Amino acid sequence: MNSMRQITRAAELQSLPLFRDFIKAACKGRADIDDQTCYDLQLAVDEACTNIITHGYAGMNPGSIILALELGRSQVVVNLTDFGHPFEPSRAPMPDVEAGLEDRPIGGFGLFFIYQTMDEIRYQTTEDGNCLTFIKLLSSSERA
Amino acid sequence: METSVKQQDQTTVVSITGSVDALTAGELTNLLLENIDSQHVRLVVDLGGVDFMSSAGLRAIMTSLKESRKHGGDLRLAAPQPGVEKILKMSGFTSILKSYSTLDQAVASFGS
Repeated sequence: MNSMRQITRAAELQSLPLFRDFIKAACKGRADIDDQTCYDLQLAVDEACTNIITHGYAGMNPGSIILALELGRSQVVVNLTDFGHPFEPSRAPMPDVEAGLEDRPIGGFGLFFIYQTMDEIRYQTTEDGNCLTFIKLLSSSERA
Repeated sequence: METSVKQQDQTTVVSITGSVDALTAGELTNLLLENIDSQHVRLVVDLGGVDFMSSAGLRAIMTSLKESRKHGGDLRLAAPQPGVEKILKMSGFTSILKSYSTLDQAVASFGS
């Protein structure tokens, strides 16, 4: 019962709500995908797209982002493809979520949220673009 | 995202409807900092109408929280919905600021 959906939008901040709406519409048809799982998927895609838009395409002509969703029986696979500068997410520092207000940096939570909400993350750069893949297990219990 | 501001008792309530993401967070930051600049340093951010918030929204809250406390005030949250509540907990924000389940509780927490 795998279902594949895909959209391509400009790599600009105005596209963020379009990607989220696309995910919401895809989840709506599946009774086994609850609201929190849908939010997690929207959050991970939103954070990744924000990074691509603000860093990946920095100094380049605006490009595009391809979002592909594969909704399977037991998992959702998200593929985000862009053609900007490569960015290896596993090399980014994670924020200290136990730091007090004074010691706490203002930002740095984007990638942290992706790692917290998704079950598997892969990144690959080829001549066909940069591909970030998330997997969300539908049977996984909430970890946060 | 839509916002409205009202004075309730000695507190400034900023109510937000819609999504707070990288597209809209700058507008929210500006609104909150303008209020702090105008000596409205006791702030309640009403999240009851927020259906989505990303790390950009947290950045707006963190920036304004630090600024309000620097001026002797505080920023408190009201009525976060489940998805927003989860990111507040994940990020540890619930340990550095006060969050209430209703707007009335958040306003009352400042006293008169």
